[in-house]
Amino acid sequence: MDCAEIRDAFVNGTVPPSPAVHAHLETCSHCRELFEHDAELGRSLASQATLAVPPSEELFGELETRLADETGLRAWLRSRPTRLRFLLVALTALCAVAVGGWLNRRSDFAAYPDARLMVLLGLYLLGILLAFEKELFLSVRRAAFADYGWFLLGALALPFVLALAPATDASRAAGPEGALGCFSYGALLTLPTAALLWAFDRDDELSLRTVCLSAAALGLSANLLLELHCSNGNFRHVLLGHASLGVAWLIAWALTRRISRARV
Amino acid sequence: MRTDEELMAAYISGEKAAFRELFQRYSPLLLRAMARDLRSPEEANDLVQQTFLHLHRSRLDFEPGRKLKPWIFTIALNLKREYFRRSKRRYETSLEDDRIAEPYEGPRGQEKSDAARETERALSALPPDHREVIELHWFGGLSFPEVAEAVGSTVAAVKVRAHRGYVALRARLGDEAPEHDGIPATKPSPEGSH
Repeated sequence: MDCAEIRDAFVNGTVPPSPAVHAHLETCSHCRELFEHDAELGRSLASQATLAVPPSEELFGELETRLADETGLRAWLRSRPTRLRFLLVALTALCAVAVGGWLNRRSDFAAYPDARLMVLLGLYLLGILLAFEKELFLSVRRAAFADYGWFLLGALALPFVLALAPATDASRAAGPEGALGCFSYGALLTLPTAALLWAFDRDDELSLRTVCLSAAALGLSANLLLELHCSNGNFRHVLLGHASLGVAWLIAWALTRRISRARV
Repeated sequence: MRTDEELMAAYISGEKAAFRELFQRYSPLLLRAMARDLRSPEEANDLVQQTFLHLHRSRLDFEPGRKLKPWIFTIALNLKREYFRRSKRRYETSLEDDRIAEPYEGPRGQEKSDAARETERALSALPPDHREVIELHWFGGLSFPEVAEAVGSTVAAVKVRAHRGYVALRARLGDEAPEHDGIPATKPSPEGSH
């Protein structure tokens, strides 16, 4: 006998003083509480549990109306299996990095330190995939900041830290010009990933979790591809043209959330 | 009678009637899980509808061999948490300030006895994480491993919460201080201890 069977017996009004019950109570302190004082607590909870509530036809009618609106491309996309959604969004982000960063590599790539490249690739790719995983797969949503706030802060801070330490001598010597070009380049290449993330989201109203995790993933993707593409290591250039992209995506998602809230 | 999992499988393969049956099985349980903490029946109804909408949108994620009940309750509890986050309220606030003063007691299925009201009031006064596991276990019909899955905790931790909740409930219902566990009773014992 287990705790659920004890509960069911109370609910059905059939708790027998059987050896099986006694054996369970010997080892289960919380079920013992149910039997204290002539099983007052067990009977009270059972009386609550048996209060039957009939299902509402009116509520089901409203639900059917909402389900009838589940048509079109977005409805189809958001109902795809999560593994597929994860794969598609990750591939889109990696394609952006490959096309924008790897195929259009920075002019001083030959001098780029191998160790730095490995560490950066590992950190950024892990961060991007983690953000997608936390955003797309069903998991218990806990307090906002503990769940993903630290993650967002880390993702936003990483490019700022890198801005303090340019990779090569040549990149240190560059001036701040071209920041807007880099910003546009990074934003444009990560736009398809952002669109896909929006289309895949299953909430009617964007959650704070989606805002934070999407901004983190897009900011990391944009900064990784720019780190591979742009040889300008000037602090102001990196700050304005690269690192600011995470913040820009955060603002963009926050505005989208505001719009979605107004619509609901 | 088909199991929940068989109904879900039938719905995935296109049998719309299976969805209605799932709604009839789960909407009362979900409504009850939502109703206690919310200000109005409309909000509770909306969250129940959203739970089924999410179930519909996530239907292709449901894998054979998986239990439906903890899955659907995870969706529902996430939506409830999101609701409180959005409205900048907390379970605690809603319970201590609003619910006890003028509780929305949930859908009217049948008249409640004084004893049932007493139990409901005692439950409302419990810390939210204790109350949550007791309600899921007793009113949602989830086993403790299923409760653990739905709230994202371990079975041992969930049982500890239930035990503490039981001790506090017994103290409130029986008007006596708990003998162990350190959960304060509503009324002090004659010795003035907790």
